[in-house]
Amino acid sequence: MRDIPLSDTGKPDCRAPSRLFLWLARELRAPIALGVVYGIITMLARSYVPLVTGLVIDRGILGHSRSELLTWGAVMFGLVVLQAMTTTLQERCDFANNMGASFRTMQLVNRHAAHLGATLRERISAGEVMNIGIGDITPIGAALAATSRGAGAAVAVVVVAVIMLTSAWQLGLIVLIGTPLIVWLLTKILLPVRRKQQEVRKQQGELSGIAIDIAGGLRVLRGIGGEEHYARLFRSESQRTRAMATDIARLQAGVAGVRTILTGLFSLAVVWLGAHLVLTGQLQVGQLVAFYGYTVFLATPLRWITDSVDFMNQGRVSADRVRQFLALGRNLLDGLDGLDGPDGPGGLGGLGGLGGLEPAARAELADPESGLAFPAGSFNVVACASSADAAALGDRLGRYVESGATIAGTPLSQLHLETVRERVLIVRNDDYLFAGVLSDELDPTHEASPERVMDTAAAASALEIIEALPAGLDSELQAGGGNFSGGERQRLRLVRALLADPQILVLIEPTSALDALTEAKVAQRVRANRAGRTTVVFTTSPAVLSLADNVWYVEDSTVAAAGTHDSLLADRRYESLVTRGVDLA
Amino acid sequence: MTALPVASRKAVRSYARKVVLKHPKQLSLALGLQALTAGCGLVAPWLLGRLVEQVQSGINRVTVMVLLIIVFLLLQAGTLSLANYHTARLTEKVVAELREDFVRDVLRLPLATIESAGVGDLITRSTRDVQALTQAARTNVPSTLVTLTTMVVMLGALLLVGWLMIFPCLLAVPILWPIARWYLSRARDGYLRERASYAKATESLAETINGSRTVESLRLNSWRAQRLREDIGVAYQAERYTLSLRSVFLPVTDTAIAIPTVATIVLGGYFYDHSWVSLAGITAATLYTQQLAGLIDLLLYNQDKLQLAGASVARLLGVSQERTDELRVSAASAEPRRAPAVPSRDIEVKEVCYGYSAGHDVLHDVSFTVREGERIAIVGPSGAGKTTLGRLLAGIDPPRKGSVSRGGVALTDIPRSELRSEIALVTQEYHFFNGSVRDNLLLAKPSASDDELRECLEAVAAWTWVSELGLDTRLGTGTREISPAEAQQVSLARLLLSDPHTLVLDEATSVLNPKVARDLERSLAALLSGRTVISIAHRLHTAHDADRVIVMEKGRIVETGSHQELLAAAGSYAALWTSWQGTGALPSTPGVA
Repeated sequence: MRDIPLSDTGKPDCRAPSRLFLWLARELRAPIALGVVYGIITMLARSYVPLVTGLVIDRGILGHSRSELLTWGAVMFGLVVLQAMTTTLQERCDFANNMGASFRTMQLVNRHAAHLGATLRERISAGEVMNIGIGDITPIGAALAATSRGAGAAVAVVVVAVIMLTSAWQLGLIVLIGTPLIVWLLTKILLPVRRKQQEVRKQQGELSGIAIDIAGGLRVLRGIGGEEHYARLFRSESQRTRAMATDIARLQAGVAGVRTILTGLFSLAVVWLGAHLVLTGQLQVGQLVAFYGYTVFLATPLRWITDSVDFMNQGRVSADRVRQFLALGRNLLDGLDGLDGPDGPGGLGGLGGLGGLEPAARAELADPESGLAFPAGSFNVVACASSADAAALGDRLGRYVESGATIAGTPLSQLHLETVRERVLIVRNDDYLFAGVLSDELDPTHEASPERVMDTAAAASALEIIEALPAGLDSELQAGGGNFSGGERQRLRLVRALLADPQILVLIEPTSALDALTEAKVAQRVRANRAGRTTVVFTTSPAVLSLADNVWYVEDSTVAAAGTHDSLLADRRYESLVTRGVDLA
Repeated sequence: MTALPVASRKAVRSYARKVVLKHPKQLSLALGLQALTAGCGLVAPWLLGRLVEQVQSGINRVTVMVLLIIVFLLLQAGTLSLANYHTARLTEKVVAELREDFVRDVLRLPLATIESAGVGDLITRSTRDVQALTQAARTNVPSTLVTLTTMVVMLGALLLVGWLMIFPCLLAVPILWPIARWYLSRARDGYLRERASYAKATESLAETINGSRTVESLRLNSWRAQRLREDIGVAYQAERYTLSLRSVFLPVTDTAIAIPTVATIVLGGYFYDHSWVSLAGITAATLYTQQLAGLIDLLLYNQDKLQLAGASVARLLGVSQERTDELRVSAASAEPRRAPAVPSRDIEVKEVCYGYSAGHDVLHDVSFTVREGERIAIVGPSGAGKTTLGRLLAGIDPPRKGSVSRGGVALTDIPRSELRSEIALVTQEYHFFNGSVRDNLLLAKPSASDDELRECLEAVAAWTWVSELGLDTRLGTGTREISPAEAQQVSLARLLLSDPHTLVLDEATSVLNPKVARDLERSLAALLSGRTVISIAHRLHTAHDADRVIVMEKGRIVETGSHQELLAAAGSYAALWTSWQGTGALPSTPGVA
């Protein structure tokens, strides 16, 4: 059994669902091949049991031979033990296939979700990805695990047919024709059931959706009530699900009846013909019992074949969903260059209409369209009249949307996105705090020394948070930072950003949840911490604005005024935006 | 993190018993039909035994016998259909009850429990465990019932065809019994561990998805991959443990259940030699024991799956255990109900201490009274315990020591539905429920008219975007995503709609642009005149507008008074105020003075 999880998930073939399937099968070829071998052996052992049973009756019992009785009895037992052993080995292979395929797919989904990054939410809802990542991996695993049983069953049918053909060709023919006929008929009958099952599954998805919604929104419900509403909603959907499921159970019960009749008639055809063959002396009694045993036995491989086909179909549907997700691309194309390329096209340098602005070409980071241009190593603050502008400008400056922004004159669109992300870090308040040990999550690269982590925490005024924890930096951070208050989360995000230590740091409303005293401290310390590197803060807080080298006042996504905090206070619009406290009405 | 509780084996068993006995009629109908099916199914091997004997002696009544078997086959198919349908109807009913009970219990869980357990655990329980249970109830439970009834009927039939043939069957018991006990005593914990580790991997994936933007901006791709790899590693080990159990259990049982088949035919040979049994008897017995072996195999397979489902049930029932604890508390103190004659809406906070973990109190000896209609602002540095105090004031958590009461009754003892119509809490946590804006608002007041909705949305400055979007447009999956600011507006509108006497607003406007927030608070204040409003905010204009400001530091109240009084006192609040205005702000604070 190969080790799971894999450190390298490889590159899947996502051109078609069957290709993804084949790719997985290729990756798992060893356990699949082994599983097929065991599956065949175990079914062979099983399929010889009725034959040996017939021999015990004919030679041992009717022949009144004690030694034959014991010999064939021992053979029978041997077959059973062989079957027990190989079944277990086959199940171990199935396990390897199942786990190998499903965990690998989960890893692929995780990797691709990480790769899509900011684009993910634009393309697909989080719930859908979760459904793929935890729901669709199961059928895929089950489909690959079904290979061994399916193969064994197919071989068993052939072997039984051959045994019967050689002892009585008429009976063999019945099996050869009857088996595929029954499989075909049953699959046909099952079609409407399958369709309905899809509907039930969808309804169940809705039901789960409500449950997830309830779990996620429980805090809110606790605050305002509305629990009864959701209890009612869930109950009515649950009853709808129940009605649909009961409905389909009626169909399935019918199918089960038909299946019983079909397989029963099949057995009886063999018995009827076999009995006549015995009467005419062409067949022995023991063989008749054996043949009846075969027709009963065949029900199992028949079911396995239909089940395997079913698993394969379901796996294919899931594989298709996985494939579609894995085929999603990012919105933005990579540029061709590293950062060492020549300065951007000359045209960009000419923008500098607003007094005192650095021309974009000489600025470390600039967005010509809005007029923002930040000199290298400076501490800049942008005050936006509308908070939506801050988010939008952040996206432009970090190229989360297509923009004309430049780093040292080079358009971001000409750079690898990876390079852009490395150089420019945009920090927003909806940035996620991942569950884990605090020190790991604050510094995922593990590059900083503990001293530096603590120093940086001090810069973000987060030292007191960490010191208040029972285990300090080794304490557990819950998903989304759930065990910290809004203000604490904001400071932890800041620590993480400062530890990442990017060349250009863009902070969007980084102190919005902090009290005034802490805000002032944070502003001063972050400025000191970032000395020598470029920092841009989007905020309307005077405590931060007063520390800025350059202040930009933005209205309608464009720079309306620029200067220092003090000089801009003369501007009525700016002044009313940043002045706090009581309105001078 | 403290995981949510898991019900004990005993609790699961007693629950199962209760469920089984809850619908006696349907259950006996289903079981009766199954027994009938099994009976019909056993006629075929018996007739076949007769047929074999006749053929052996050269008697040709083949066609008659086959037709007879067909009659029973049709009967069997008919009763099987009915049995399957009635069994399914019953299990669907039971499963629906269980999942509805579960969700109802989730809705009653104490918030602190969920927070310490994490939402992920709850989500896995309400999806994967419910599904596992549904699956088992649909396939394994009916299959087990059918198997058991068939086995009983078959043993009876075996006694009829040749009672001697029962002995070979007993040979398997001394092996099957101990191995089954060995396996079943270990499997449950193994499966429970599997579930828990799987939940962790699920959560890991969910985090990558929810934080995908952050993953990109901080280039955490390989870190996230590593985290999932670790979780999958643990999950895989848990799976391997149960595999190793099965690897011992299955071959032993498979061999054991084959012993009767072999023994039947070999011993049958001896008995036949001594003319103790007929050929028909041996044939039928062989066919029966072969079927019996298959049934035992099926039974053990289902038992394994039922263990898995049992683990799920234990996890689902665990949630209801948590609830009963809470109910017990409130039921005990519900007896001396508050005297309705004094409907005081003052909230009294007396010597309250509270901590999320033992030995780490975040509130120390906090006492004050919120008078009806008063507007209070709670300010202070973050981490001072303001949010915790807000939760106690809304009756969400009970204090560890001291009391938070209204009219002499502890808030946590007031029935939730009654409490929520009087005190509401809106926090910085926002959650937009799947559905339309209307759905989200009607939660608070199902009977609200369109005009009311519009009024509330206008009051929170959300009418513009809502009317553009449409009140009934479903949001979420695949459609437009709602922004945090919009979600916060909706939750404030919802609050207005529910119209409680007392509102606790914990940074309820913090996501909004400062200017928008200020305007919104003003318009809220106008609408909420006469209501008691407790605002927790770091934006101090809220404090400026309040009747009374409570300043907290390190879990204690350090100052109380109006804005002007506190400024004059030149203490913590005054320092906070100066700092908040920033160095560049205009020095004057006229208005009230």
